[in-house]
Amino acid sequence: MSNDEKPKIGVYICHCGENIAGAVDVKAVAEFAKTLPDVVVVRDYLFMCSDPGQELIKQDIKEGLVNRVVVAACTPRTHEPIFRKACEDAGLNKYYFEMANIRDQCSWAHWHEKEKATEKAKVIIASAVAKARLLEPLEDRYIDLKKEVLVIGGGIAGIFASLDLANAGFKVHLVEKSPSIGGNMAKLDKTFPTNDCSACILTPLMVEVANHPNINLLTYSEVESITGSVGNFKVKVRKKQTYVDWNKCTGCGACLDVCPPKARVPDEFNEGMSLRGAIYIPFPQAVPKKAVVDMNACIKCGGRDFSGKEPRKSKSGKPILAPCERVCPTGAADRTPYRDPNGEIVELEVGAIIVATGYKVMDKSYFKEFSPHHPNVITAMQMERLISATGPSEGKLIKPSDIPKLLEAKKKGEKIEVEKPKTITFISCVGSRDNRYHTYCSRVCCMYMLKQAMILKEKYPDLDIYIFFIDVRTPGKEFDEYYMRCRQLGIKIIKGRAGGIQVLPGDKLLVKGYDAEVCRPVEVITDIAVLATAIEPDNTLRDLARTLGINVGAEGFLKERHTKLYPVDTMTEGIFIAGCAQGPKDIPDSVAQAKAAAASAMSLLEPGKMTVEPLISEVDKEKCTGCGVCVPLCPYGAISLVKHEDKLKSEINPALCKGCGVCTAACPSKAITLHGFTYEQVLAQIKTIAKWPEIQT
Amino acid sequence: MIEPEEGVPTILNLSEISEREREEEEKVVDIVREFGAENLIYCMQCGSCAAVCPLARVGFEWYNKKLIKALLLGLKEELLDDPTPWACVACNRCTEVCPRRVSPFEVMFAVRRMMVEEFAIPTLAIEGLRALYEYGHAVYMTGREARKKVGLPEKPPSTDSDEKALKDLKTILRNTKLAELGLIPMND
Amino acid sequence: MIADVVKNESKNEGKLKYGLFLGCNIPFNRPDVEQAMRKIFPALGVEIDDLMGQSCCPTWGTMPSIDIVAWCAVAARNLCLGEEKGIDLMTACNSCYGSLNEARHKMLTNPDILKSVNDILSKIGKKYEGRAKCRHVAWVLYKDVGLERIKESIKYTLDDITIAVQPGCHFLWPSEVYPDKEEDPFNPKVLRELCEVLGAEAPYYSKLVDCCGMGALRSTDPEKSFTLVKEKLECIKEELDADLIVTTCSSCLIQLDDAQERLRKSGKLNFSIPVLHYVQLLALCMGFDPEQVAGISVTPRDEIIDKIINKR
Repeated sequence: MSNDEKPKIGVYICHCGENIAGAVDVKAVAEFAKTLPDVVVVRDYLFMCSDPGQELIKQDIKEGLVNRVVVAACTPRTHEPIFRKACEDAGLNKYYFEMANIRDQCSWAHWHEKEKATEKAKVIIASAVAKARLLEPLEDRYIDLKKEVLVIGGGIAGIFASLDLANAGFKVHLVEKSPSIGGNMAKLDKTFPTNDCSACILTPLMVEVANHPNINLLTYSEVESITGSVGNFKVKVRKKQTYVDWNKCTGCGACLDVCPPKARVPDEFNEGMSLRGAIYIPFPQAVPKKAVVDMNACIKCGGRDFSGKEPRKSKSGKPILAPCERVCPTGAADRTPYRDPNGEIVELEVGAIIVATGYKVMDKSYFKEFSPHHPNVITAMQMERLISATGPSEGKLIKPSDIPKLLEAKKKGEKIEVEKPKTITFISCVGSRDNRYHTYCSRVCCMYMLKQAMILKEKYPDLDIYIFFIDVRTPGKEFDEYYMRCRQLGIKIIKGRAGGIQVLPGDKLLVKGYDAEVCRPVEVITDIAVLATAIEPDNTLRDLARTLGINVGAEGFLKERHTKLYPVDTMTEGIFIAGCAQGPKDIPDSVAQAKAAAASAMSLLEPGKMTVEPLISEVDKEKCTGCGVCVPLCPYGAISLVKHEDKLKSEINPALCKGCGVCTAACPSKAITLHGFTYEQVLAQIKTIAKWPEIQT
Repeated sequence: MIEPEEGVPTILNLSEISEREREEEEKVVDIVREFGAENLIYCMQCGSCAAVCPLARVGFEWYNKKLIKALLLGLKEELLDDPTPWACVACNRCTEVCPRRVSPFEVMFAVRRMMVEEFAIPTLAIEGLRALYEYGHAVYMTGREARKKVGLPEKPPSTDSDEKALKDLKTILRNTKLAELGLIPMND
Repeated sequence: MIADVVKNESKNEGKLKYGLFLGCNIPFNRPDVEQAMRKIFPALGVEIDDLMGQSCCPTWGTMPSIDIVAWCAVAARNLCLGEEKGIDLMTACNSCYGSLNEARHKMLTNPDILKSVNDILSKIGKKYEGRAKCRHVAWVLYKDVGLERIKESIKYTLDDITIAVQPGCHFLWPSEVYPDKEEDPFNPKVLRELCEVLGAEAPYYSKLVDCCGMGALRSTDPEKSFTLVKEKLECIKEELDADLIVTTCSSCLIQLDDAQERLRKSGKLNFSIPVLHYVQLLALCMGFDPEQVAGISVTPRDEIIDKIINKR
């Protein structure tokens, strides 16, 4: 079909069941559409996207009745590809198609004003027809895809996404901001609902990641910037300065103990319940097991500050060494060479990105009603560390207020006995389902409280355990059975979230609650109170999202493209999300989502190239004056000024252009055309709408 | 526990209740389970039983659901003076609707059995037991005009007219816990 | 579970014969119900045995409140009286039906209980094998005698009479323990069909399966007990405007009859609906002497009896 053939427009109006027909008088709209210029066929149908509906369009094209198609139906976001394909199948260039959204923007929005909705549907269709008269045929483009993937975040989700991709033959760059991968799961003692030891199931996976030939593990690193788009992202990653030569460090840990008391700070891995040195390895099973120096904590013993200087003793002339250097058997901790505090920038090119940066646990300090200043009021994550064999008390249940005593004695090589806790009380929904903090349910708290209670009760049957719940939520496989087992063990479930904790003389805590089942206020005198604080987005997630150009929702988690149908996709093609960065979830769900994200990245990249709509901008070199206004405006760096017949002219790289239209709108000489949205087409639409209701008659 | 003013509800100090159980070396839950309410621990406090319970309907304090929770918390003294368990009509509609096979009826009766051990038993129940032992009928009447009026013999063909059978029944009762408890005189 | 223990339940092969288990309320409070049974069953071809020496089932406030084994031992002695003769028991009292069957269920599902019970029974030279059970008269009439036979045997039909049925709690729950079960215990049909075969209307009403408030509730707190019976009666009046209430439970009979009159006399109820046990109603329809089979009531029932017999 040639370009200059006179347009013969077919208008196809969809009822969308009741969705459109319930508010719009479809018959009246159809009658009106027949009066529009160049319209030769008007049909309406119950569901135009159904097979018979599409067949109506195909038939008209094949019979030569129409050569331009306007479908008045729902949103082009979901249905434009379907109708374009129908046109193509019938032998029509698929860009001779135009969609008029009379559902989302008309019938739904004006459901209770049926007459007005019908009028608006007419305007929308008239405007689409005006554009359809000026449509031009276009050809699809293809771009090559880089078969490498960037995974951001080395927790359980990032680990699984990386392994699945790497095993499928894709090169993976796994970026983790901490010195070790493992994430929050590494801190957990056991995992519900089967009480597997967390370290036992996680450590082998961490080792597999480190040893995988297709995985480039970048720990202690952060994403600095990203440019490009799907298939061809250019990523800059900053490898932070470790101040330890990782090629030499064997992870022996000799340096950890000699770091002086002044340089000790709260240990992140133990949720602040113990101290670590400035030079540290995050935890015993760390991968990679390498030491780093925390420069905020380091007191630079002997003036050893990595500046390249070599202080020497004034008398003997021997070099002065910091304790960590002195004990390091391999010279990895050597502080003589200059080290750049900014670390090093690594540049990567990847076809897709998976964001799996996890979550953080809300701090207890917000909840003044629960006496958070008291050391025995702890978060559930602290309880994890308290019952973990790698925790501050090596898994022995003691009151957190006794930890310093215990550590002091251990240092001196003494054995001391501390009073055993007799009662432990859990309080649910601390910061979740709370309009002051987070309105959402953190989803895992019910289960982890039950888990901790069960582990404690089984290990110490004499312990009295109370759990104050608003209501118990156990919607997972084998979850409710787990809950019922807790009840059977004699763990006391109180319906009603506690309202306060008061400190009693002698280190005891009084939990004030109300049992909604016996309808009485209740009190519990407890040794330890555990607050199930909310899961919340990490502080840096918003910045990362901005860097990546993806959205965050109102609650601060990464926003998926569609809650139900595209749960691991984002609005930016080629960027996927998984794990708690998307929202609170448990380990099984995080892993499932990670594998889904990996599979999505694979199906995107595996073909090696992808179709790109030809709806991009093009410069008319004759009209272009070479003013260069467009160059800095382009968000994709697709425009440059090049010599053309001795003059500088704009040129758009079609591989980089995304068709956003910024340059087109900005060009003072109207030299740039955005295909699919030309001046003439857009103006024809605007004129039609502006003249309304005049043209109606 | 500090005694509150008249009419002011007590705050339940769960730690004190737990301490008492520890001292007595017996949990209330275990006592009532021993008395027949084995499945008590499967209760999830859904409230289906209370929804159909005649006692809950007419305003008794410790109807099935609430009683179960009280027992799970270890309450006992608080329940001994309460008439609720003795008002249970044993209708068993609760058992029929319980999604966890707790049989709240069994819990009610297990509590009766626990209360009996503490001699917290209503006079009417004692009288019923005495009549059962003496005549073989918990409901027994000496006046027989009604029977004669409808044309029946004065005595029904029960222990009332069978001395051997009444003796057998007494032998049985003397070999049960009723005799151990000594609630009623049980002469031969 | 029961099947494993009881290999050979009592069977009434060919002839229908049951031990008439009276309980306490029927022989002492409502002997007209006993007399009704003694009249109708032989007339329907069902032989009844007196079960000489039977006692209280035992009822809920007695042994069941003391000890499970003690409860079962008293029940087992009663069941033995039938078992020794190779017959099942039959009762018109829901409490007896409930207590005996719950006790039997406990003995058959818990061998420890059965053993303890038989240890006690051995002192009087008895042993309970688990064979004999207690049937409900309504089920015997419905299943064993059959609706056809009932229809053939009646002299008067209940035309233009609307009946509100009250099967009673222990006729229904817990369904697990009973030898005969309604298909849907929350919408029971047996008593309705038994009434319909006599020619009456016996529609569903919303409080059909609700408790009448009798038993321990009435002895503990009569006022609260009357709340329940009042609700039930008002529902019957409002939804069915029934001419008659028919129950298969002697406790329900007493409560609905006696409490109704008390409520009416204290001005809390402004209507009166006569109450009959089903065996009484059947006896009347079969033409037995009303004085003997339905002669005892608090709420007047003369009018309805007159209507049945004399069609007035």
